[in-house]
Amino acid sequence: MRKVAIVGGGATTCGKREATWRELVQEAGKAMFDNIENISPKDVEALLVGAAQPERFVFQVHVAPMVAECLGVTPRKVIATTELMCASGQAAIRYAWACVASGMADVAVAFGVEKMFMPDMAEAQTNMTCVLDREWDGVNAMSAPPFFAMTAQRHMHEFGTTKEQMALVSVKNHHYSTMNPIAQFQKEVAVEKVLQSPMVSPPLNLFDCSGITDGAAGVVLVPAEDAKKYTDNPMYIIGSGQASIGNAVNNLASITEWVPLKMAIKEAWRTAKISVSEIDIAELHDCFTISEIMEYEAFGWCEKGKGGKFIEDGESYIGGKIAVNPRGGLLGCGHPLGATAILQSIDILQQFRGDVPKGRHVKDAKTAVAHNLSGAANVHSLIVYSRG
Amino acid sequence: MGNVKFEKIKRPENIKLPYMLDFYPLEDEKNTRISQFFKNLKEGRLTTTKCKECSELLWPPRVVCSGCLSNKLEWIDLGVEGELYAFTEMRAGAPLGFVQDLPFCIGMVKIGGLLISARIDDAKYEDLKIGEKVKLKIMEIEDGRVFYRFQRIS
Repeated sequence: MRKVAIVGGGATTCGKREATWRELVQEAGKAMFDNIENISPKDVEALLVGAAQPERFVFQVHVAPMVAECLGVTPRKVIATTELMCASGQAAIRYAWACVASGMADVAVAFGVEKMFMPDMAEAQTNMTCVLDREWDGVNAMSAPPFFAMTAQRHMHEFGTTKEQMALVSVKNHHYSTMNPIAQFQKEVAVEKVLQSPMVSPPLNLFDCSGITDGAAGVVLVPAEDAKKYTDNPMYIIGSGQASIGNAVNNLASITEWVPLKMAIKEAWRTAKISVSEIDIAELHDCFTISEIMEYEAFGWCEKGKGGKFIEDGESYIGGKIAVNPRGGLLGCGHPLGATAILQSIDILQQFRGDVPKGRHVKDAKTAVAHNLSGAANVHSLIVYSRG
Repeated sequence: MGNVKFEKIKRPENIKLPYMLDFYPLEDEKNTRISQFFKNLKEGRLTTTKCKECSELLWPPRVVCSGCLSNKLEWIDLGVEGELYAFTEMRAGAPLGFVQDLPFCIGMVKIGGLLISARIDDAKYEDLKIGEKVKLKIMEIEDGRVFYRFQRIS
């Protein structure tokens, strides 16, 4: 296995974009190639495209060749779309990494794109109903908001977590996203504003939920020994973990304890040969405020059931026990499904390079973890990045 | 440019509900090997498959045991009364086909050793309690198919 570096990337601004799917692809692709020296589209040997539901949002399949066509890329080793719903972009990074690590390709692009705004938003909401088992969960309208609402309800019931504590996660991540020019949400929110936002699915208010978002992003992966050809400041993939248990509600290991996340974390630390104490930045999948609270617990930054207290004490801010989502998270930046993991990866690279505004810069960060969950939190995917 | 023809065209005003927006399973023998589930449901019985080899209770009903890969399965009754494990109310963002039902409650129901998702009918979010008993209810779809929901007992 060869050590693999990410040498740069580029992204669109995220939000409700007045642009088509293929225009987002071109914007992000151009930004990516423009940001990296000594590379051209013709150098790309492997292209992996994270896209969660292009067949529903824009009624298009076979999207990896479309991305290649839009960017003038002509892959001659590997090309495919990777779908793992909200973790589709991380799946792209993982496969691109495997291509380079194995020697199958010397230049790989991990790309991600989602165009989620549709003329009729009821249609976009409908797409979310085929993520769990369509015929046994989807038929009950069981999509992400009601599933995570019930997760939050159980967490409140079992551990005494409060709505105010959940709102504080949204407050933090919106605070950081005001300093991220490509983030969907550019305004601070206060606890009262979260609690007064429309109730989507109790106990979740609108600002407990990540947004519907258009966006695209790409990163370039090469063998570590070639990295300096493209940049003085690469970052390295030093470990990963991924685990999955069940899909339908009945077959989950637990509702209030994400067993596959704990498995994936263990594997990530094992492969990276590090312990949790070495992590300086955590880009965690805050699709809903309750998710980030449960992730504090799973990573062991606080005891099980004490995630609400952890944010209340400010421990997940920069300067606290662990800097969680200094990018602004999904809550602040939006969640263009296929692009999210790529956006996390680009932001970690910029953190390592010191290319982010001071107010959200984690100084001297050397190691970061990026996490995505998908489905009913039954799949968890992690990558560990290092500056050196 | 005078010789360029302009012609107005029309798209169909109504389209039959496409299969991808029809969430209810196709339930007859021509479409599924678990049509027995729906036959039982028509008799007011909520059933599922249980493995004769390893005794694993399977949900949704299967044709192969996901515990031991045996295909020797039997139908068993789950009962008609369950307990509410968690619940919420869909107030916005319902899928097409369910928008007219807003707001409506959804829950996770413990029944017969399983935890299954289901619509909870005839209830407001404020009325429901964790641990509350709920009872099976059968929905008859206009084309003759059936599906299950739950409702409050009290």
